[in-house]
Amino acid sequence: MPANDGTGIVADRAQRGDERAAAISAERGLDWFNLFVANIQTGFGPFVAVYLTTQGWTQTRIGLALSLGTIAAMASQMPAGALVDRISNKAGVAFFSILAFTASALCFACWPTPLFIYLGEALHGFSSCTLGPAIAAMSLMIAGSRALGLRLGRNARFAAIGNGIGAAAMGACGYYLSSRAVFFMTAALTVAAVLPLLPLARLYEPGRPAARREKSAARHREPIASVLTNRALLGFAVCAMLFTLGNAAMLPLAGNFVTKRAESEATLLIAAGIVLPQLVAAAISPALGRLAESHGRRLVLFLGFCTLPIRGVLFAAFPNPGMMVLAQSLDGLAGASLGIIGPLVTSDVAANSGRYNLALGFVGFMIGIGATFSTGLAGLIADRFGNPVAFMSLAGAGVAAAALVWTAMPETRPR
Amino acid sequence: MTARPPKRVSRIRSAIAAAALLAVAGMSIGAPAQDRPPQAADDVPSPPAKSGPPGPSYLDPLYATEVTSVLGRNVIGPNGEKLGLITDVVVDRDGRPRAAVIDFGGFLGVGSRKVAIDWNLLKFDIEKRDRTVVLALDRREIQAAPEYKADAESTEMVGPPLVGSSSGGDAGK
Repeated sequence: MPANDGTGIVADRAQRGDERAAAISAERGLDWFNLFVANIQTGFGPFVAVYLTTQGWTQTRIGLALSLGTIAAMASQMPAGALVDRISNKAGVAFFSILAFTASALCFACWPTPLFIYLGEALHGFSSCTLGPAIAAMSLMIAGSRALGLRLGRNARFAAIGNGIGAAAMGACGYYLSSRAVFFMTAALTVAAVLPLLPLARLYEPGRPAARREKSAARHREPIASVLTNRALLGFAVCAMLFTLGNAAMLPLAGNFVTKRAESEATLLIAAGIVLPQLVAAAISPALGRLAESHGRRLVLFLGFCTLPIRGVLFAAFPNPGMMVLAQSLDGLAGASLGIIGPLVTSDVAANSGRYNLALGFVGFMIGIGATFSTGLAGLIADRFGNPVAFMSLAGAGVAAAALVWTAMPETRPR
Repeated sequence: MTARPPKRVSRIRSAIAAAALLAVAGMSIGAPAQDRPPQAADDVPSPPAKSGPPGPSYLDPLYATEVTSVLGRNVIGPNGEKLGLITDVVVDRDGRPRAAVIDFGGFLGVGSRKVAIDWNLLKFDIEKRDRTVVLALDRREIQAAPEYKADAESTEMVGPPLVGSSSGGDAGK
């Protein structure tokens, strides 16, 4: 831009145009960042157990490593949230979280010895807890609390695309190359994930309005107790916990069944059961975000939660591999609605409290409790009473979650 | 919770040792004309003369061309399709392997099942570079098997197919 000191309007306009271009590239950066992060997280899931088995690990030790990861993640949810609240440069938080993922993936790939695997698990557990809140906070920064639902819908779309591509690519990588290659691929992807952070980092440069807003927000903080005892936040957290208690075991249980019963290509069917819901989520997430802004958070959450009992009943009534894959695609709606409404309700409650990330950590902690007990509980029921009863019990948790949303969770959409 | 893990680990250790021993035994039975490689006796290192903790009184070589570890090995079917991974070895009271526990199927760790397979149905082709273990059964013959439960009173393993069964494949030798 040519320097034009005489006319203030032109300089001002240039300034504003520059600001808008920066905002657009930040939006795109966040899209890609969501995609890559979802991509990266694929390898750290249940696949770790497969990888460690190929490295000659005993099942007992694998269980220990996985428990350690879970405990690290659960224990760091709220402390990590509190830490992120203290740091005004959220892009920096995201950068260091990704760096920790790189280190963790390299630990897994290069040194599959107990020391490094435990270290990698702990590192991954902690940095997941700083990354999630950082993404939500950057979204809030970019969109503002009025249009956050739309932005979160977009986040959910790109995360779903990343999940789908990640599962397909890493599954193929594990099958055709080696399970170790999956973690090298993960490490390479973390490097790619840094690039879309660059336009986001620019938002937090000193002097930018975004950075100033963040600074002023940090100045006053509400007491933790008053934020965490908010009825809407508590209600949402309990609902989300109940839902996850019913939801997390659904796919493993159904997958186990498909492996047992599928006529041919059980592996491909399970892959479809993982990828298909992501396609559904990618398709409908933006609409869900709009719906949350136009008709309220409760409606979207209720719709999402209702799919769980439907799925449970379908699994129990039609124990047939093809049917299961189709019913599993409903999970796309549930996952997207939870992913959008979580940060949205938390923002409604705590965006201006200076405790947004802590509140997100609290919600994450509650969801983590549900996830931790889900598979064990479902396995126990399936052993004792058979698969149909297990599916119906999981459905029951879904009914309870949906009913609780409708009766006990207040609407938080600002008018 | 407190007593279990050590017991399990010791079981696995003894299982590995037993598996290695069995592999050695299998090799020598498979090649009756060949006794132990003659150079073996010369290669036995003499006990260390250095001071320090006393070493084992006798050392026997384990050649990579003769034995293999088994945990985490890929298992493939007769037609080469990938079936799963060996996660555990079940031994009887004499320490002889009875069954291999195979983590079967699944995608990215989702939906896999643990199935016990009769040890005699596994073929360890030590010479092969990738050291995959060949199972004499195909996917259909093990997919409906009951899940292996390490802690259960009794559990079932998949044995050789009965002669004249629908699959019609060659029965266990």
